[in-house]
Amino acid sequence: MDTIDRLLGEADRAWRGYGVGSADRAALAADLRLDLRAAAADGGDPAQLIGGDVAGFARRLADEAGVRRVRGDYGRVVGTALIGTVLGAVLGYGLLESAYPVFVHLIDIPRSIDVPIQLAVAVAYGIPAAVVAAGAVIAVRIQLRDLPRIRRTAQLMSVLVPVAGIVVTPVTVAFAWATDYSFAPPVVVTEIAMVLAALAGATVLARRLSLREGRTAAGSSPPEATRVNPA
Amino acid sequence: MCRMVAAESQSIDDNDRHTQLLRGALDMCLLALLAREPAHGYELVRRMETAGFGAISYGTIYPLLTRMRRLGLVAHEQQVSPTGPPRKVYALTGSGRTHLDAWQKQWHRFTDTVDAVLCPLDHNPTRS
Repeated sequence: MDTIDRLLGEADRAWRGYGVGSADRAALAADLRLDLRAAAADGGDPAQLIGGDVAGFARRLADEAGVRRVRGDYGRVVGTALIGTVLGAVLGYGLLESAYPVFVHLIDIPRSIDVPIQLAVAVAYGIPAAVVAAGAVIAVRIQLRDLPRIRRTAQLMSVLVPVAGIVVTPVTVAFAWATDYSFAPPVVVTEIAMVLAALAGATVLARRLSLREGRTAAGSSPPEATRVNPA
Repeated sequence: MCRMVAAESQSIDDNDRHTQLLRGALDMCLLALLAREPAHGYELVRRMETAGFGAISYGTIYPLLTRMRRLGLVAHEQQVSPTGPPRKVYALTGSGRTHLDAWQKQWHRFTDTVDAVLCPLDHNPTRS
């Protein structure tokens, strides 16, 4: 890989971190490559031209080019989703504990009616799970309302988080079965980590998709100036 | 030792003031250089140095050219070079020419005012 490729790779990482969309990154890189190649042909050293702070140069260039930036803020989004999950789990547990006796008291199902065990399990654990997922989505939607495209992120989360929950549940159950349903702390911590990782993955995916949709819709690229005749 | 420190401090002050002065005039100077003859980015860096501005980094010039292109003050096009890769050559647009004329007039008014303020200082002794 030559020096120009290395510099452009470094600039691309800086642009990516700065929230510059892929179309804009490609346009900026193509322009810069052309200029650096011309400079190198004139005897200039591309690395020396840009200087030591390639990331700073790249960010300045993006600012001056007026490209539209949308920050991912993945850390904040995932962190907020996990806090919402914990709050949702507490609420869901409370709901389960308080609602179950009430339901038993209010609804007396005759013994002649055979309720499938799967349905009972789905209701008993599905409702708290829905509360947990809703906690993550609502926390992100409300707490991070200042972030761009957060509404769309929350919409996608409301689909992807339950899907992640459905996918990870049998995996976690299989792990629990493999460990003989142990309550040993490392086993329990691993099970919790598996669930949280699935939720975090779904959140990151929702955020990424919502930003990608935004960039595609905007179709933004640095405006081209009028062309002139050759000198 | 004190003299060395004082000289060093003076040099830093000079550099800072030079940078500040340049900040307000760099885009205008680039337009003026391009008005004389279109050029590619690296060539402009050399022209600025030759004009007496000292070493201005490519990292400063290139983003500024990009902004001027966005604003429609300059335009670029690829020119085939017989000796190397294609060149992205920048030239002034009509809007760039209009802006340059306006900025030049503004600059002359500004420097006249500054001169008028500074000139009496040349003849008045400073109070110690």
